[in-house]
Amino acid sequence: MVDKSILLDNKKFTVGIFDDSDKLLHAVNTLKEKGVKIFDCYTPFPVHHLDHALGYHRTNLTIGAFLCGMLGCLSGFTLAYYMNVVDWPMIIGGKPQDISVFTSFIPVMFELTILFTAFGMVIMFFARSRMMHGIKEDLLSRRQTDDHMVLAIDNEEDQSVSNEDILALLKKEGAIEVNDSKEAFNTSLTSEEELAEILKSTKTSTKKTKKK
Amino acid sequence: MYTADIRQPLVTGGKTYSDVTKDVCRPIENKPSPSWWLGFSIAVVLLLILAGTLAWTVWEGIGTWNVNKSVMWGWDITNFVFWVGIGHAGTLISAILLLFRQKWRMAINRSAEAMTIFAVFCAAIFPLFHMGRVWLGYWPLPLPNAFGSLWVNFNSPLLWDVFAISTYLSVSLVFWYLGLIPDIATVRDRATSKARKFWYGFFAMGWNGSAKSWGRYEVVALILAGISTPLVLSVHTIVSMDFATSVIPGWHTTIFPPYFVAGAIFSGFGMVLTLLLIARYVMNYQDYITSEHLEAMTKVILLTGSIVGLAYITEFVIAAYSGYEYEQYAFANRMFGPYAWAYWTMMFCNLMAPQVFWSKWARTTPWFIFIISIIVNIGMWFERFVIIVTSLHRDFLPSSWVMYHATWVEVGIFLGTFGLFFTCFFMFAKFLPVINMAEVKTIIKDKE
Repeated sequence: MVDKSILLDNKKFTVGIFDDSDKLLHAVNTLKEKGVKIFDCYTPFPVHHLDHALGYHRTNLTIGAFLCGMLGCLSGFTLAYYMNVVDWPMIIGGKPQDISVFTSFIPVMFELTILFTAFGMVIMFFARSRMMHGIKEDLLSRRQTDDHMVLAIDNEEDQSVSNEDILALLKKEGAIEVNDSKEAFNTSLTSEEELAEILKSTKTSTKKTKKK
Repeated sequence: MYTADIRQPLVTGGKTYSDVTKDVCRPIENKPSPSWWLGFSIAVVLLLILAGTLAWTVWEGIGTWNVNKSVMWGWDITNFVFWVGIGHAGTLISAILLLFRQKWRMAINRSAEAMTIFAVFCAAIFPLFHMGRVWLGYWPLPLPNAFGSLWVNFNSPLLWDVFAISTYLSVSLVFWYLGLIPDIATVRDRATSKARKFWYGFFAMGWNGSAKSWGRYEVVALILAGISTPLVLSVHTIVSMDFATSVIPGWHTTIFPPYFVAGAIFSGFGMVLTLLLIARYVMNYQDYITSEHLEAMTKVILLTGSIVGLAYITEFVIAAYSGYEYEQYAFANRMFGPYAWAYWTMMFCNLMAPQVFWSKWARTTPWFIFIISIIVNIGMWFERFVIIVTSLHRDFLPSSWVMYHATWVEVGIFLGTFGLFFTCFFMFAKFLPVINMAEVKTIIKDKE
């Protein structure tokens, strides 16, 4: 499953922003215990055990990597065997040029195994994490790649706990900032454009609440 | 969290997450300092020397070098092996030390990997121009061609080398880029100018630090480390086979693969120390590259230097014991022949000089480590010179015995590769985060 862009969905999130990874991890565990469904967390560095706490399974990329490696190994063998045995055996000093020289194909097979594994796995990683050159990033806080950790809860998700309780819980867990309707944005806007965007979104949201 | 009291913290100065970001992004976000400009200008001058001497080589022909019968490999292949060797520390630090969970690697792996890539660029120049007709440089590739079906010879270690070096370069680039992505995203989100936003945004590939991505990222990094480890070992093993599979006395020894790998790590760490000591001083990274880091690296130098020294002695003893007079002569000639000065320089620099690192003072005094690291670099260049030139210059036929000295063109190309190396490194220090911010942020609190 490819990660969805939260930017495209115009989703609203309840977010809690933390400045400490231990507090974030504790908050995730507490919310999970209360039965709150968490959308995702965004951190500037890998927080250990966080994926476990969020209930993510270990990625299957390793299987893909293994298959790529097998393909590379086979390509190496095919390349060497076809060129040096089938198509044009290079007889030097009357030595045989058949499957018995298999051992001298090993270095090429080995190198291609590694080459295919590395490239195959990294390309699969980019594809699954929805990463590509020129794609717009979706941030919930400008500092989530610097020093802030964001815990995001999708507002459309049915929760057994009320929104107020979630906000209170986040605050209790040490969130330095909470927000109950945060939209994703990207930093390719300049600061002024971003300000205008935020003003616009707050205006539309107030209009919607008025209509209700 | 587990903390070991005998260890010093890996990051000193009580840094917070945002301090790490600010410190590492400072060179990228500000105008370069005068010392950067000075270093960069010198590097560019050397780069121009490289361009000039290479152009002269191509224009006039390979005769501008003194390589000749029977010294067909002179400074060029010496420099090739020298640079490839240097290119081994980066992947060693980021891959093998990751598998061994050595957390001190985190502050230095980025610059060591960059160094690896630039060193392999420099190395690639030599075999390519050594061919003489550089425009036919694609001939070692297994491509369909117009000469009947004359394919490349898969029995030749030189072909294995083509595959090994190009795989090594590609995989190192991927590993380096993958590690850079989260940090490029950090720079992107701090960017104030449109150009910076665009370029860092382009290369950050939309990274937003989601826990899902981090989970996968860590697995990918681990697997890349796992496959890079045998790759590093294989590359220099294959380089050593360029020599070891021949029947030249002095080359034809089974000890070559492990001895070359140890030598590569040794020389790579020598160069990493040279570069990091400068970078640490110029960029004020003493809190990140602490004396703990320097000490750990000098210990690796001490270990690999001793392995290399042991290999020199073993090689000599095996030659003496073999009863094979040509082998015996080759080694006696190394020690006492016309190139004895090179041999004893090598022995001093590689075997004796690093032994000072048994002392704690030597391991933690930056200026002293810097001197030893330069000595190690010189010693490892001489090791390759000794292996190549002393083994070749006295053939089986005394009538073909020659002395080999480099011409100004060969010297110019060698100096020029330093220009290429340092130009790339200065550009890297200006445009990319020199320290892996994301990884360093995970260790600022612990002592492990």
